[in-house]
Amino acid sequence: MIDVELAAFLQEGIAIQLGTRNDRLEPNGARVVAVTVDGDGRHLVAYVPDAAASQVLPDLESNGQAALVFARPPDERACQVKGTFTSARPASEAERAGVEAQWDRWRDRLASIGVARATLEPWITWPCTAIRVRVTAIFNQTPGPNAGAPLA
Amino acid sequence: MTRLESLASCFQGLIPATLFTCSRDGVPNAAFISHVEFVDGGRVALSFQFFNKSKANISENPHALVRLIDPDTSQGWRLRLRYVRSETSGPVFERMALRIEAIASYSGLKGIFKLLAADIYEVLSVEMVEDEGPRAASQWNERMRPPASVFTLHAMQELSERIHRAESLETLLDSMLEGLEASCGFTHSMILMPAAEEGVLVTIASRGYAENGAGAEVRIGEGIVGVVAEARKPIRIAGLIRQMLYAYAMHQRASEQGLCPHDHRIALPGLAAPDSQLGVPLINRGELIGVLCVESEQPYRFHEEDKTAIELLGSYIAIAIHSMLQRERSEPAVEAPSPVHAATPPPGRVPGPAREVAYYSADECILVDGEYLIRSLPAKIFWKLLNARQAEGRLEFTNRELRLDKSLNLPEWKDNLESRLLLLRRRLEQKCPDLRIVPKARGRFALQLASDVILVQKP
Repeated sequence: MIDVELAAFLQEGIAIQLGTRNDRLEPNGARVVAVTVDGDGRHLVAYVPDAAASQVLPDLESNGQAALVFARPPDERACQVKGTFTSARPASEAERAGVEAQWDRWRDRLASIGVARATLEPWITWPCTAIRVRVTAIFNQTPGPNAGAPLA
Repeated sequence: MTRLESLASCFQGLIPATLFTCSRDGVPNAAFISHVEFVDGGRVALSFQFFNKSKANISENPHALVRLIDPDTSQGWRLRLRYVRSETSGPVFERMALRIEAIASYSGLKGIFKLLAADIYEVLSVEMVEDEGPRAASQWNERMRPPASVFTLHAMQELSERIHRAESLETLLDSMLEGLEASCGFTHSMILMPAAEEGVLVTIASRGYAENGAGAEVRIGEGIVGVVAEARKPIRIAGLIRQMLYAYAMHQRASEQGLCPHDHRIALPGLAAPDSQLGVPLINRGELIGVLCVESEQPYRFHEEDKTAIELLGSYIAIAIHSMLQRERSEPAVEAPSPVHAATPPPGRVPGPAREVAYYSADECILVDGEYLIRSLPAKIFWKLLNARQAEGRLEFTNRELRLDKSLNLPEWKDNLESRLLLLRRRLEQKCPDLRIVPKARGRFALQLASDVILVQKP
């Protein structure tokens, strides 16, 4: 579902948020520090700071519904990945460098739109919970007439 | 619960917020949004510009979550919301529409990028995001200090004193812009006033730009200045670059599909890339006297606390300009000791290379050596002065005689002659500094020509 080009976009260091909902259909959300896309293009792993993961894990474990939004300034390319939760585990130390490098690239990118790197410096990026999601649909979310159209 | 009012900085729109919704059949959705509008202590508003998935979800299920970031403290916040209603008129709608219209106008998207409704949400809870904030409590407290207000009482007092000291429209305008830099730190600013042509504003004073920009025109409704003039309400936009990029991205996609008839591009007057802009209407007794525009390359320069002070300042300046124009009009000109003529050197014998000044009657505009100088009433005035000099050898003139000159067709009331003369002086300074108009005393001025002029009248 996620082709090579799209996978590169998702992993390049951009804004990512994970949306869930509880059984009363009330939404929840958490910041995602980084993602990795599986080689099959059908699964991805979202790295969410442990403190934030507690906001969304009960929902994911209860109903499995997940929505990840990705956006890249300054061209505002954006997409939404819908999926279902498959598992969660503590992220390993071996994954840390890759996760933090992706977050670092995002902070560089933010600087290009006038948000200083220092703004996000105090935010917690580690330890993370690795949340694995099976991709069920992808939608274009870049501003314009095709926003909302399915990408896969 | 943390008071919503204390999150004022989050509502400036500097850092994108995220909106989470859920459909009736339980599919969550997440979207970045450019702005969350503070309504009151218990409500916020989100803009409805396009019918998208978030909007569809909200129409089915009123629950929503917004995540915000405070640009001053880096603290993240969660607002749990419940949709109440959509407003298509009223103060909240108008405030949000004005902001969007200004950005759309800058981005060539006026009429496309617009507010359809202000969606009002009840705020059910305000929660601090645990992982998005300074780690140490001591650091957090330090950073939580609110930023200093720009328009302090001291700054307002200083600006007020400048108003009282000003002796002419020119010194008033220049002194206000100087004061905005000295007291508030705004290095780039301009004041525009209504041009002779209806629906047009013309730059009459500026500070901080490479060129003085005198004579630069803005149509009512165009750009931030034009939108301020049209709505007669102040606009503050922080994070302007980001919001314009969003609008530009939309425009690009629309253009690629042939949905935009013209190839507009983002054209920024003044600073090449302002990140914050403030537009203040100058209104006196319901009359638009002009617009003050202040720009900053810093992304976050205007604070919530400044709002009242900004409006107050706009009123001060408007009253000051109005009374200066009134005073200039009502007071008699200070008489010259004797009529001054161009005896030395006589007309036609000024040293230096001659300049050709051409007046195009149909367009009422003047070109100097083939380059555009000015049009409309200031052009007619300059042409009259040059002809009087050539025919009668006169070099000094009074405002009163211009008012009495039927050929200039000045309105009986509110002729704005002083501002037209100031505009003419500024344009001459910029385009041909060897041809000058110099104030001599109240209501009196002189032509000073360091080059000879050849007058050419064209149809």
